Amino acid sequence: MRQGRREIVTWVGSNIVPHEADLRVRLRQMAVPEEEISDIVQDAYLKISNLDSVAHIRNGRAYFFATARSVLLDRIRRERIVRIDSMTEMEALSLADEDPGPERRVGARMELERVRRLIADLPDRCREIFELRRIQGVPQREIAERLGVPEHTVEAQAVRGLKLILKAMAGQGGGDGHTPKPRIDRDEDERERNGR
Amino acid sequence: MDDENAARWAIRLESETLGERERAELADWLQADERRRGSLLRAEAVLAYLDRGRALAELNDSPQPYVSAGGYRPTFERRGFLVGGTFAALSASGLLGYLLTRPPTMQIETMIGEVRRVPLADGSVASLNTNSKVAVAMLERRRQVHLEDGEVWFQVAHDKTRPFVVETGDVRVQAIGTAFSVRRREDGADILVTEGVVEVWVVGRENERRRIEAGSKGFVADAKPAIEVVHASGDINRALAWRNGEIALNGESLEYAAAELNRYNLRKLAIEGHGLGREPLVGYFRTDQPENFGRAVANMVGARVEIEGDTIRLSR
Repeated sequence: MRQGRREIVTWVGSNIVPHEADLRVRLRQMAVPEEEISDIVQDAYLKISNLDSVAHIRNGRAYFFATARSVLLDRIRRERIVRIDSMTEMEALSLADEDPGPERRVGARMELERVRRLIADLPDRCREIFELRRIQGVPQREIAERLGVPEHTVEAQAVRGLKLILKAMAGQGGGDGHTPKPRIDRDEDERERNGR
Repeated sequence: MDDENAARWAIRLESETLGERERAELADWLQADERRRGSLLRAEAVLAYLDRGRALAELNDSPQPYVSAGGYRPTFERRGFLVGGTFAALSASGLLGYLLTRPPTMQIETMIGEVRRVPLADGSVASLNTNSKVAVAMLERRRQVHLEDGEVWFQVAHDKTRPFVVETGDVRVQAIGTAFSVRRREDGADILVTEGVVEVWVVGRENERRRIEAGSKGFVADAKPAIEVVHASGDINRALAWRNGEIALNGESLEYAAAELNRYNLRKLAIEGHGLGREPLVGYFRTDQPENFGRAVANMVGARVEIEGDTIRLSR
């Protein structure tokens, strides 16, 4: 059953996006380089965008993690040359949705706090437009009228704001109490390989 | 990620201000790189995510958000959100969650003629000989390897708290930190120990364990009670050389691989061009077919192959 694009976007917005920060934290713990993380996240979204329907997905978070895991495995296998430095398939397989526990499970209030913080951190002009559009639901044309600026200025500010938020979300989850696990010690492996 | 353009298109798509020409422009932008569809979906979905701020703001501002007191009518949105939240929490801890979080089993398989060396999550390394198949599970109390077929040499990372157990048929081999190989036979298993000590036994006869030390090999029959152990230090290294005339590369440089192949052949590989020799390679190659090696590698690293007399030249 094919779903409308709008419907899928809305679903992704409420079932996938809230877990992006946790996925990035997990990838960082696995010592995946930062630029690889963004590529993996992008490819996970790409895989989801290839779906005709998301109706069969009951747990967005688990699905997102499983998709990212398959992206990571694809990258390791396809390249044959392991650019993700000495990451093994075994390590990649350990990328699974670890339930964050009741206190970290994304609750309504925490979700609101995150959304508010993302918008509050924007430069003034962007923030004003974002608040009108996103929180108060004012259409773009009306915002332009209210602020007495051309509509394309409102659009440009909205683009700028969204870009900043996309960037902020990519950096999210860095300092929220998760301590990165130390890397698996591969010294022995290295020694053996060099000795050959 | 191209966030700049993804943000622009997401905002425009949403405000529904796209004209004919802009739609064509968007199509071109998407066409140029398949992965942009991923960036665009993310940008659009983030917008949708930010919209939750509105619904949630209403929820948060109400004095008693979770209680429907007399005369206070909860809005449809609020109720919908709460129900959705409950479902999300349930499914997060449900069967799907369990399936995804249980310790993963890693299947490793080699083809005929293939030799593969696979680092395991605990720091151990499994070297699979031709036509072999294993499943590895890292459990809390032990590291468990099921050898279905073929032969594998294990270099086991030291971990007293988690014994490393290889099972094949009814035969069990346990190590803590050592190196040994196990080969599945029709009627039992060969065990060769290159370092340390292993303990072997047959299921159902756990009391008749035998130790096999470095430099020795044993044969454990599924059916017979006796476990034969002989000292054979000279044989072991040769037996483990996996004399298939192959070179298995796991990240070694092209330069190194070419030098290795050149030892076996009159037709020599020559590597030219900036940085080409430093390309790391992964794969297995026959040592007696340098042309095939050259072509395969050229494909992998984007180089040209030219054959002049006895020289196979790789360049880029």
